[in-house]
Amino acid sequence: MKKQTVSHKTFGIVAGILVVLAAILGWTAFSHPSASAQSNGRIKVVFWHEMTGPAQQQLISFSKEFNQSQSKYEVVPEFEGSYNEAVQKVINTHGTDASPAVFQSMDISTSQMHHTGYTTPVQKFIDADHYDVNQISAGARAFYSNQGTQLSMPFNTSQPVLFYNATLLKKLGVTPPPVNPSYSDITKVATQVMQKSNKKVQGMSVEIYGWLFEQFMANAGASFANNDDGHTSTPTAANLTGASTVNTMSWIQKNVKDGVFANYGAGGNALNNEIASFLSGRLAMFLQSSATTTQLTKGNKDQVGITYYPHPDGQKSNGVAIGGASLWISNDKSAAVQRGAWDFIKFVMTAKSQAEWQAATGYLALNKGSQQQPALLNMYKKLPESRVPGEQLAAAKPNNTNSGIFMQGLIQARNLTQTAMEQIYAGTNIKTALQTAQSSLNGNIKNNNRANGY
Amino acid sequence: MQAEVTPAPKPKVDQSAAISHKRAKGYNLHAGDKYYAFAFLGPSLLVLGIFVFYPMLRTLYLSLFLTNNLGRPTVFVGLKNYIGLLTSSAYQASLQATAIYVIGVVALTLILGLLLAQLAVKKLAGIQWFRTIFSATMGVSVSVAAIFWLFIFSPSIGLFDQIGSFLHLPIVAWLTQPGPAMTAVIISTVWMNLGFTFLILFGALQMVPQPLYEASAIEGASEGYQFFHVTIPMISPTLFFTSTVTLIGAFKSFGLIDLMTAGGPNNATNLMVYRVYQDAFLSGNYGLASAESVILAVIIALFTLLQFKFLEKRVTY
Repeated sequence: MKKQTVSHKTFGIVAGILVVLAAILGWTAFSHPSASAQSNGRIKVVFWHEMTGPAQQQLISFSKEFNQSQSKYEVVPEFEGSYNEAVQKVINTHGTDASPAVFQSMDISTSQMHHTGYTTPVQKFIDADHYDVNQISAGARAFYSNQGTQLSMPFNTSQPVLFYNATLLKKLGVTPPPVNPSYSDITKVATQVMQKSNKKVQGMSVEIYGWLFEQFMANAGASFANNDDGHTSTPTAANLTGASTVNTMSWIQKNVKDGVFANYGAGGNALNNEIASFLSGRLAMFLQSSATTTQLTKGNKDQVGITYYPHPDGQKSNGVAIGGASLWISNDKSAAVQRGAWDFIKFVMTAKSQAEWQAATGYLALNKGSQQQPALLNMYKKLPESRVPGEQLAAAKPNNTNSGIFMQGLIQARNLTQTAMEQIYAGTNIKTALQTAQSSLNGNIKNNNRANGY
Repeated sequence: MQAEVTPAPKPKVDQSAAISHKRAKGYNLHAGDKYYAFAFLGPSLLVLGIFVFYPMLRTLYLSLFLTNNLGRPTVFVGLKNYIGLLTSSAYQASLQATAIYVIGVVALTLILGLLLAQLAVKKLAGIQWFRTIFSATMGVSVSVAAIFWLFIFSPSIGLFDQIGSFLHLPIVAWLTQPGPAMTAVIISTVWMNLGFTFLILFGALQMVPQPLYEASAIEGASEGYQFFHVTIPMISPTLFFTSTVTLIGAFKSFGLIDLMTAGGPNNATNLMVYRVYQDAFLSGNYGLASAESVILAVIIALFTLLQFKFLEKRVTY
């Protein structure tokens, strides 16, 4: 009897030890996915990005070229899914071996990334190397800097522009919009298209998209949030009900009501449908990111025209902010790894790399020297209109209203402005819709500032 | 120690004594048995503790806080996350959308599944083919189903609109208008669920004893009467099972929503689970997302409880 009890005890203890061992083994296996920071004598620099298609191919070849160009570092590009998901992954892996040395993060995560305190501002390396930042587009730099410090390096950059089907307008006998059109210029063209095509062609479309909402405000010189869109200090309130915003929304609402503007809704499907209609000659004009240029021109028999983003009547265009993403350096890696990350950033920002980048992807070349590079000159020869987005970017003088909104929680903010746009397109009172979005946004801002101790 | 205190088992006297002894042993464990129990339960308790109980408690804890940009709980707000959610019109709209979706999916899945099973149970030539086809969606992954249905619903190249334009019907913007988008995801989810529901109900129908039908036929019962008074009561345990599983599944639907509409247009298909994902993993708002998941868990538990309380009473085992 006694002997039996002991064997029970032993069995229990052994089993218990096994379980604990298994748990410890599992723990260590998970917390050390890649133990070695060095491979074949080179310092490994892990690069996280969120690019797919041709852009991903180009990033892989950049990494290869960089690795061949020197023998000290080895850049390893890793695809991390969508922009939104990547932000959370960067934050959640920080301080572990799984975190990246250099990573790409979307435009509207800039304030959040800065406030995590997980990154080394590239300004540190710019100063150390006496790197000539003036060769990089000022408008793009302004978006990713805060009070004179360059936080990250602008990378894949696009501009919101207006696309029009030049062949279609010619066929209908409609004069195309000017290079820098006002709201009424667009209304005029859209109305004529509709009338001359017997309502068979839709004149214009403004996708229900928070980014476009922000760009209308930027181009009108209006601040989205107080404290100069967050560029002077942390925003404490939103400003969505200003006269210029109401004016822009009335312009869209009236045209949607008159059937001059089409409503394609919101989200990825809306964009796909806009593009499908544009390519099949059923939509004459629409606002979209310049990153879609390749998609719109490749295999399209019709000639595509591009203009600047429309601005309110009776005032000059203030310029729009950029869209896209920038490259950041994590501060949880050794000085040597961070140096490797910076060398890689310098490599992708050279005049040659940037020209190849624009030719391959449609994102704008940010190095001023790229304009003389053969890759870009060839592209301009084939497609003269592709100069326009870059010209728009160069024409805008960066100020606090056209350099993005330096505020956290912009994803939620876009959801709110999109809901307001949706309501306005459907005929809701403009002030009511904007007021609703603003009060929700103010609540979010207040909570966010409280949670972060600002 | 316990072993010496516990009285040694008495020798068996008769049948009833043996049973009562067995019962007593169940509650009053032998010392050695305790170690066994621990050794056998330990691993699963450990796994459950790490992967189920800890996350549950952590979620509950997080839901009472505001989280900062690193996802850490910083400011205790008590129930304010919950109050804010339940009073926000966006969240109420999400609750409403979830209700429509769940009711639509559960009702259609059960009705169509039962209909197909009832058709397939008939012994006809070539019925095996139909049985295979009806249960085929079990083998289809969510991503494949989503792509398949996106092709059908696509506004310019979609099958539905091609047929519609051929018949000169008005073109429906399936995935870009709130109402049709909800209909589209319900149709796709029901289609996904149908294979499993069909198979389970088909099995149940085959288990209904044939003499019951013969007896009722002799009594002069029509086929419709037989269906409602013989078939339904006999398969009610299975119907109960499938309704519970489908209900829980519908509340947790994520893949099709993510791939087909991503919660849009205008949040019309932004169901509760999808909001949790968006708030946690896109916006990094973990406190709010935790509160949303607690609300969702409570609602699912409530419905499951209601089902057990009311539906089970009508179930004939």
